[in-house]
Amino acid sequence: MEAGSLTSRATVRGGRSIHERSPRSRAIDPLLKWFLSGLAALILVLIAFFFIRLFIEAKPAFDKFGYIGFVFHNSWVPSQQLYGALPLVVGTLITSAIALIIGVPVAIATALYITELAPTRVKAPLTVTVELLAAVPSVVYGLWGIAVLAPKLQPAEQWFSDTFGFLPLVGGQVSIPNYFIAGLILAIMIIPIVSAISREVMATVPGDHKEAALALGATRWEMIKIAVLPYSRAGISGAAMLGLGRAIGETIAVTIVIGNAADIGSTIFSQGYTLAAVIANEFGEAASDPTHRAALIAAGLVLFVLTLLVNALARYYVNRASRPATVPKGMAG
Amino acid sequence: MRYKNLLALSCCAVLALGAAACGSNDSSPSSGGSSSSSTSGSTAKAGGTINGAGATFPAPVYQEWAARFKEDQGTTVNYQPIGSGGGIAQFSAGTVDFGATDSAMKPDEIATAQKKGSDPVHVPTVLGAVTVSYNVDGIEQGLKLDGETVADIFLGKIKKWNDPKIASQNSGTQLPSTSITVCHRSDESGTTANFTSFLTDYSSAWKSGPGTDKSVKWPTGTGAKGNDGVAGCVKQTKGAVGYVEQAYALQNKFTTAAIKNKSGQYVEPSLQATSAAAQGVTPPADLRFSTINSPNAQAYPISAVTFLLVWADACKAGQNATQAKLVKNWLNYGLGPGQQIAPQLQYAPLPDNIKTKAQAKVDALQCNGAAINGAS
Amino acid sequence: MSAVAQRSLRPVSPRRRRSDAIARGVVLAFTIVAIVPLVAILYWLVKEGLGAWSKTFFTTDPTGRFLGDPGGIRSAILGTIEMVALASIIAVPIGVGVALYLVEYGKVGRFANVVRYFVDVMTGVPSVVFGLFVYIVLVVTKVAGTFAAWKGSVALALLMLPVVIRSAEVVLNLVPNSLREAALALGAPRWKVIFRIVLPTALPGIVTGSLLAVARAAGETAPLLFTAAFVLGSSADLSQRMNSLPLQIFNDVGQAQDRLVQRAWGAALTLVVMVLLLTLIARLIQRRSKLSP
Repeated sequence: MEAGSLTSRATVRGGRSIHERSPRSRAIDPLLKWFLSGLAALILVLIAFFFIRLFIEAKPAFDKFGYIGFVFHNSWVPSQQLYGALPLVVGTLITSAIALIIGVPVAIATALYITELAPTRVKAPLTVTVELLAAVPSVVYGLWGIAVLAPKLQPAEQWFSDTFGFLPLVGGQVSIPNYFIAGLILAIMIIPIVSAISREVMATVPGDHKEAALALGATRWEMIKIAVLPYSRAGISGAAMLGLGRAIGETIAVTIVIGNAADIGSTIFSQGYTLAAVIANEFGEAASDPTHRAALIAAGLVLFVLTLLVNALARYYVNRASRPATVPKGMAG
Repeated sequence: MRYKNLLALSCCAVLALGAAACGSNDSSPSSGGSSSSSTSGSTAKAGGTINGAGATFPAPVYQEWAARFKEDQGTTVNYQPIGSGGGIAQFSAGTVDFGATDSAMKPDEIATAQKKGSDPVHVPTVLGAVTVSYNVDGIEQGLKLDGETVADIFLGKIKKWNDPKIASQNSGTQLPSTSITVCHRSDESGTTANFTSFLTDYSSAWKSGPGTDKSVKWPTGTGAKGNDGVAGCVKQTKGAVGYVEQAYALQNKFTTAAIKNKSGQYVEPSLQATSAAAQGVTPPADLRFSTINSPNAQAYPISAVTFLLVWADACKAGQNATQAKLVKNWLNYGLGPGQQIAPQLQYAPLPDNIKTKAQAKVDALQCNGAAINGAS
Repeated sequence: MSAVAQRSLRPVSPRRRRSDAIARGVVLAFTIVAIVPLVAILYWLVKEGLGAWSKTFFTTDPTGRFLGDPGGIRSAILGTIEMVALASIIAVPIGVGVALYLVEYGKVGRFANVVRYFVDVMTGVPSVVFGLFVYIVLVVTKVAGTFAAWKGSVALALLMLPVVIRSAEVVLNLVPNSLREAALALGAPRWKVIFRIVLPTALPGIVTGSLLAVARAAGETAPLLFTAAFVLGSSADLSQRMNSLPLQIFNDVGQAQDRLVQRAWGAALTLVVMVLLLTLIARLIQRRSKLSP
């Protein structure tokens, strides 16, 4: 075909040539661009508004107790107008720590199994099964936790508490809703997200590294230790951070199984409270009390800032993981 | 493309589920709208919806009233049992049409409410018994307990069911050595206020310790939300003891304690004993009174009166005239037919002198200075 | 290098073989541990929840009555469907629009990167904070009444937005550039390329992402606590309080009455079935689409 006929016959629908686009058609393009940019800008405005509004509403509480005082004072007694959030922060940290300690190794193991050790036929169904854990709503986790898990585990917890009572943070009477059950439920809830990201990271390990290790006579596990894990370390850390962010912010499942006692429990089997749970439980009672409401919003702000920090850290780690990795130790001499 | 069929199929499934639910013929009395047949009254139904929130203590009787009120007048009453603290807060904030509390509003709470533009009015409705319920294998009948013993249990000083203090009051009963687990409220509760008021009267340790309030620092035990939560806690835990309203105790077949009253009698919670607590009480003009620790010989000492909270001038406080009228109808129903219904759930109706005063308060409710008229 | 080679070319020692077997066993055991809760939850859901299912369960509203019939969960099912539908109507167009911007006009440039960063931030915000935000901005200020179903939808939409944007961006990026360039070379204006070529090609992926966001929103409780509140009766009135499945379950969870707890199980089973159906349909659409990430 000659070039000439191509240009002279090139048309858009409607029989017009490319040289003759109607003014209306020409105008839509920039309109669309501005409209879509506007939507994108809306996101920025929304987040900024979000943060500013939360801060303004929380300010009375911070003014009254001070930033440090609010977060670190150990007494949350609304009926006496005392709003020190330390029991809440400690509760959030304890339950998240338990969730990480239990959940992350299990999630990494799952990711390892799926990427390295599972027979091919099993990989896809197993992946789907682990992802299904993420589809269960948190209120259902709470229901199962308080109706099934907590009562069934209580004898074991009491035995553990009696036998190992000399350990710090263990001992004494076991309450049915407690920090440990909350941490356990959170661990189950973060497994899918930590596992999914770990899997992605492990899948990017260059085949050369793995084959080199195997060629040198490493067993499968040694290959994982030498080639896969070091390479994925940053990514797995990022995944764990994301899991932590999820655990910190979880509200409903925790409030059902933690007992909602605004004290720092003496053992992991005592009742406690978290930042997210206090907001859900007390906002109804704070409707006409401006200080109480400001305190709850301040708790929400602290929660928001915590999750922001953790997620930023997670992003940093995951980004580091996608940079080309250095050669792992023990390889080319 | 095939995904379009899948999408269409899933949309149809969702719509079908919704349509089936919508279009079905339901027999529940709280269906939407006022189309259900009524057994009483040939007057036109008022219809409409009012929202209320507050104490879990009277929730059983309020829900029963709401169901029958709807059959009678077509008005839907959405009552959310969130605790007395929540009821006072939501009422003062204006997010509900009426509140409910077992503990009269404190002066600072009244001051907060007055900012809305009108005074809050306490309308007493029924009386109930705060039982000390327990779940102990081996104790099948009511234990005799006095105020100080109960306080010591809830202070954590008495740790086992066969403690000498309990045994000395129950010499005929074999007591097991089970540990005591305390169940208490975690939310702001009028039931807690009434219970702790009783404990303060009999225990100086309680008075100087946790004290009397809707929410106190509990020295021991597990917290739960609402009367229903505490009932659940007692039911689930062997050896547990908790304080719940009698309707909850009866429904879960708890064993309840006979408490020593001011005259020295050990009285079991019952309809008569609860009513006896209100006999001879002369309430103040604003009807904010308490029946805890009544001096009457047959009275159950932890009997509590519960209130509905409304505005003296609803429209000045932000409600519209229609809502104000519906709320007044609701109050009239509670003070009228409701008083007959309450004993069926073991709540005591108001004694006549108090009922008259309460009715007078309701009749005096206004909208923008004018009385709210409209048949009940 | 030779030392390593000499050591490793010897046959694998029994000690290494043993530690390999142990390690693999531990990994397998942990993997099973990860699956056990899912199996347990599904088992208990079916065991306890199926018993609650009956015709009246789905066709009557909860009555709130203490004695007598507690009623079913009809208002909860309807409420969830209505509120999530409204939330999707809000979130999906806006989300797809932002994703379009990021892909078509924002491949480079600081503004687009900032937007991407903030979308990432949004994914990490706990749902209770979204609910609190809508509570402060819409409920306390009494914008058109206090608690209302549409405000619950707004909170859910805020939750869905980052999920929709992220997944739509991934899918739109997968549309081959050659398609766009061919259309542009033939003289089509940019907007036609977007609406006639890019969007239709990416549609299955966008639908998948949206359905997954919907499944997530349907299961959320905390945002609805502060906004739509709780009510017993069914209604189509989005300007009033509305019931929802997660809230209904939350209310029934701590009850002492066994039949109320059983109703909670039945409602939970219903919710999980709905969520699983949505997830399944989303995955099926993804499998059949020509573009897969």
